[in-house]
Amino acid sequence: MIDLDEVRRLPVPAKPVRPRATALGAVVAAVVLAVHVIAWNTTEMSFGALAEGWGGIVDFLADAIPPDLSWDVLEPSLNGALVTLWIGLLGTTLSVPFSLLLALLAARGTAPSAAVYQAARSLLSFLRAVPDVVFALIFVTAVGLGPFPGVLALLLHNVGVMGKLWAEALEDADPGPVQALRSAGAGRIQVAAHALLPTVTPQMTGLLLYRLDVNVRSSLVLGLVGAGGIGFLINQSIKLFQFDEMLTHILVVLVLIVAVDRLSALVRLRLA
Amino acid sequence: MLALSGITVRYGERQVLHGVDVDVARGELLAVLGANGSGKSTLLRAAAGLEPMTAGSVGIDGKPCGPLDIAVVFQHIHLVRRRSVLENVCAGALGRLSLRHSLVPALFPRALREEAMACLDRVGLADRAHERAGRLSGGQQQRVAVARALCQRPRVLLADEPVSALDPAASEQVLALLAELAHDAGLAVLAVLHQPSLAARHADRVVGLRDGRVILDGPPGQDVDALYRPAVMEAVS
Repeated sequence: MIDLDEVRRLPVPAKPVRPRATALGAVVAAVVLAVHVIAWNTTEMSFGALAEGWGGIVDFLADAIPPDLSWDVLEPSLNGALVTLWIGLLGTTLSVPFSLLLALLAARGTAPSAAVYQAARSLLSFLRAVPDVVFALIFVTAVGLGPFPGVLALLLHNVGVMGKLWAEALEDADPGPVQALRSAGAGRIQVAAHALLPTVTPQMTGLLLYRLDVNVRSSLVLGLVGAGGIGFLINQSIKLFQFDEMLTHILVVLVLIVAVDRLSALVRLRLA
Repeated sequence: MLALSGITVRYGERQVLHGVDVDVARGELLAVLGANGSGKSTLLRAAAGLEPMTAGSVGIDGKPCGPLDIAVVFQHIHLVRRRSVLENVCAGALGRLSLRHSLVPALFPRALREEAMACLDRVGLADRAHERAGRLSGGQQQRVAVARALCQRPRVLLADEPVSALDPAASEQVLALLAELAHDAGLAVLAVLHQPSLAARHADRVVGLRDGRVILDGPPGQDVDALYRPAVMEAVS
């Protein structure tokens, strides 16, 4: 045992007061508060309206509970959920070649020139900036209602997001093997194929699975604007005031989303 | 065979190498020694074309060296850990392969795979060909890196502190391998080393750098303490 009286102690020196840092902190806090006040007013936040509408919400829930779990409702619901899953899957998979190409063109180190780099980055930004719902509305107009415009919409938006994520993974890759192969006389494409891509495969696969997870959820929203899947059924049941059917669809969606999320998380954990 | 002449490297105001001349003969293992900051790694990187030179030239047998004549072995090994040992060795030959034969490892020609196996056999690791490179020990990985360099069919091998990340036994093994390659395969091998004792045991000749200048050139085993002694106390403070 150590005799506690013998343990050496030193007084803790007073923390230096930094008036400038304190003032900066106060300014930042004031600005953050101010933008929240502006946001509150602009979005017409009102607890009063929420309290007045309480009755409507209660009526809505009374209609919705219990959910209609009859097979007549459940069967189309399950089929719709599967369509939603397939839209998300195809939208993700079909975007892989385009994402890969743009990622290579938009990563420092693999971009052939500064102009190509800028062009690829701009294209990715554009595809990312247009929400998938907007793409879906455009394609629904072009090719009609159904899952197909949903796949096209997800594909385009996902190229924008995954291309950027992959480009960043490529830029963060360990430069060692790249340098080794370059000093062995390998060309730009050879270096990408034999040093860069194999090095970042785990990260890129992880991002791919994450995007699959996100895209399945997005494809649900696409259904709301007419691009097929269970979102379409939810939209229909709301329009027909069949809230018990709507709740059934939502429960099915919940199961689907949780399943995809768990699967994606599990695989990513194994990759890490 | 390898002639580095007048190698000068300057980063803005700071001059790292002051016109360094070093020759390495065919079949010779030359060790370059020096304290941290003496410019020994910069010399190697400049010779390998990894660092821009302010002045100087790199020649082989009196001619300017080609891009594939010099192979480099790195301190941090730099293998692709997820690829197999054999695929890593094959990658050393990328400089002479067309894209059609090299876009993915499955396209590597049979002749190249067999050559790579011979390179692996040379470093004593032919039995590990299909294992992932990342699963090998550090010393084994560095030997795979040497095999990859051999697969480049170089005339000169440059090794940048090839053993400073390895344990003593693996260090001995890698340096013995480099000496053997110089003596048996007729390569000119230049190795930048951190430990004078390793140089004394394995090198055929030792060059010492200090403040970017060659101040020592001679047989291994000589007194090299002058390389590491602080010149003036002001330099430290």
